Amino acid sequence: MPSNVSKKDDFIPLSESAVRYNHFLLDYCQTSFSALSGCTAGILGLTGLYGFLFYFVVSIMTSLFMAIYLGNNTSKYFLSTQTLFTSTIWSGLQTYLLFWTFLYGMVHVY
Amino acid sequence: MAELLLDSKIRFWVFLPLMAITFLVGIIKHYLFIFMSNDKIVEKQQLTDSQALLRSRLVRENGKYIPKESFMMRKNYFTNEETGFFVKQKRQNTVKNPMSDPGAMTEMLKGNFLNMIPMVVIGGWINWAYAGFLCTKVPFPLTFRFKPMLQKDVNLVSLDASWVSSASWYIINLFGLRSMYNLVLGENNAADQTKAMQDQMSGAALSMPDDISKAFKAENESLTITHHNWALKGVEQTFN
Repeated sequence: MPSNVSKKDDFIPLSESAVRYNHFLLDYCQTSFSALSGCTAGILGLTGLYGFLFYFVVSIMTSLFMAIYLGNNTSKYFLSTQTLFTSTIWSGLQTYLLFWTFLYGMVHVY
Repeated sequence: MAELLLDSKIRFWVFLPLMAITFLVGIIKHYLFIFMSNDKIVEKQQLTDSQALLRSRLVRENGKYIPKESFMMRKNYFTNEETGFFVKQKRQNTVKNPMSDPGAMTEMLKGNFLNMIPMVVIGGWINWAYAGFLCTKVPFPLTFRFKPMLQKDVNLVSLDASWVSSASWYIINLFGLRSMYNLVLGENNAADQTKAMQDQMSGAALSMPDDISKAFKAENESLTITHHNWALKGVEQTFN
């Protein structure tokens, strides 16, 4: 759902609901990815810094995939390209930590 | 420090159930909320007023896309000094005391009920049934300061801080599953207990119905000072 961005600088006509929907989809992707990567890290038994490193690598890779997928049209869907990379990284970390701890506990602790 | 050995029965009877319970309770809460909430009956007058406010806001925000004539016509309809909608409509003070309105009262009670019951009952039950187990270990080292957070009702000084007790595992789930509800139930779900807590703290849960005459006055003022700023100037050139 593109939120039309015109070439002129002085005003940007955009649809509020379209912007919100785009962010919702972005959040959806990032949450799924962080849950899955949390499971992966837990099963692999990553501990300490390696686990966090793994999360950040996966998160940045997800954003990169999305940036590649959108190509040059990023500004058509998001106000700035930066939001693709930064907006969901902390909320995703919460999910990641939960699943990492969960599967690490299931597989490696007992 | 010697590695602890946990009974693997804890995994199947404490660790896994806690996560399942937290998740399923959230989902049940969501559907209960849908089931119990009935549509608000809105009076015709109220609806007219709120639609007028909405329309005025749209004129203010998007007025630059319509010709000046049309904008002035709409503006005049709302804010003309003698015949304007916002000037002419006189509403008596409609702020009702929510205590005297039984409909609003039950609605409020229901909302609080649905938020409080799971919090108290499930939380209490989990504290009673699952207290005192060491459940799992977080896969990263933590400092001593985290001990009271992660090891509720396990008071062992010499225990490494990265072990997690069952009560704390429940709380971690409560907060961590938030985005999973978004994933499963969609964006505006009622399963999120923490959001309700935030609402209560900010007082948003107790917001009263708006004083309509005050809102009219404010909207009148802000529409009066809005000027038409034609946004499509030279739009023919950009299409070339």
